[in-house]
Amino acid sequence: MTEKKHRGTLLKIVVLAIALFAMIIISFVGSEVGSGIVGSEPLSLFNVEAPQYHPAPEKPFHHLPITNTMITAWISIAVLGGLFFIGTRNMKLVPTGLQNFLELIVEGAANFIEDPAGKKHGTWFFPVCTTIFLFIVANAWVSLIPGFETIRINGEPLFRSANTDLNVPAALAVVSFCYVEYWGFKAKGVSYLKTFFHFGPLWQAIKLIVTGNIKAGAGGLLNGFVAVFAGLLEILSHIIRMVSFTFRLFGNMTAGMILVMIMIFLVPWVLPTIFYGLEAFFGFIQAMIFAGLTLGFACAAVMEE
Amino acid sequence: MEIWTDVAKLIGAGLAIGLGAIGPGIGIGLLGMGAMNALGRNPEARGPIMTNMILGIAFAEAVAIYALVIAILLIFVA
Repeated sequence: MTEKKHRGTLLKIVVLAIALFAMIIISFVGSEVGSGIVGSEPLSLFNVEAPQYHPAPEKPFHHLPITNTMITAWISIAVLGGLFFIGTRNMKLVPTGLQNFLELIVEGAANFIEDPAGKKHGTWFFPVCTTIFLFIVANAWVSLIPGFETIRINGEPLFRSANTDLNVPAALAVVSFCYVEYWGFKAKGVSYLKTFFHFGPLWQAIKLIVTGNIKAGAGGLLNGFVAVFAGLLEILSHIIRMVSFTFRLFGNMTAGMILVMIMIFLVPWVLPTIFYGLEAFFGFIQAMIFAGLTLGFACAAVMEE
Repeated sequence: MEIWTDVAKLIGAGLAIGLGAIGPGIGIGLLGMGAMNALGRNPEARGPIMTNMILGIAFAEAVAIYALVIAILLIFVA
């Protein structure tokens, strides 16, 4: 009895796999590039327009300064806000359904943050890091809904993933940078500036030389210069960090968008689904990396020496 | 004369992503090797090894993404 059932499911899976594979082959041969390779006429069914990429976001409404990435960012804000509003409207002590799911997210994030940062600093970092994570992941996943890039108004796509607009990652990077510096000052006070302007060892060495202890002073002088130089490098690294943040997110999301466009152009059926799954995974990973790096730099900024 | 700017753009973009992918490729290979070694020594720690490997791969991959951004800018913007 069970063996027969097993054989039935196996047969179904094999038939489905063959059908999907056949769809991939047919759509590849029928598309523009594949028909060129095989030497047949392209089928009008698979007539996908060649991928076009514009780095700047388009403006679907002629006179309004509203870009399509902005609309998407609003949508993801609305989705997040609506989800959390509905989920926390009738809060119960023993959560069920949506509230349970949201508590899972929030508790997971809280554990993830409190693990390296500790209880006190964790409560500082939690709102910003979690918001960054949720915003990026919402932007990435909202843009996987069918209709993005394809619904057109006035010849321009109405929606486009907000992460593929350089301004959005840049804004998030600036927010992350400002908060890291703010937390540094909050934790250490004015002495946080010592991270950047570390003149202490140099002054001590000069003092030693002036008071006559030249031998000890000369050795300290080198260390002093190294400390000053390291502090200046620290300023540079904090600024380069922002650029790196920006281009990591922007590059990953743009590359994903172009990859999906090219796969749809090459093989219109079935195969792009795999890349949609990959994009969902990468959106999650990139959001985690953005939030996690903010957390890591924040921990480094508030750490006692 | 006009064609040579296009030629230079295409060669530059190809070189940018091609050379830029070498380092991350080696890096991801090393990461995978390290993860496999760790997994062989300690198969129970599969979860944490997996998570940290994916994080490390994402960092190594980011370098290739910078090269890709340069290539994209060369082809579509410059």
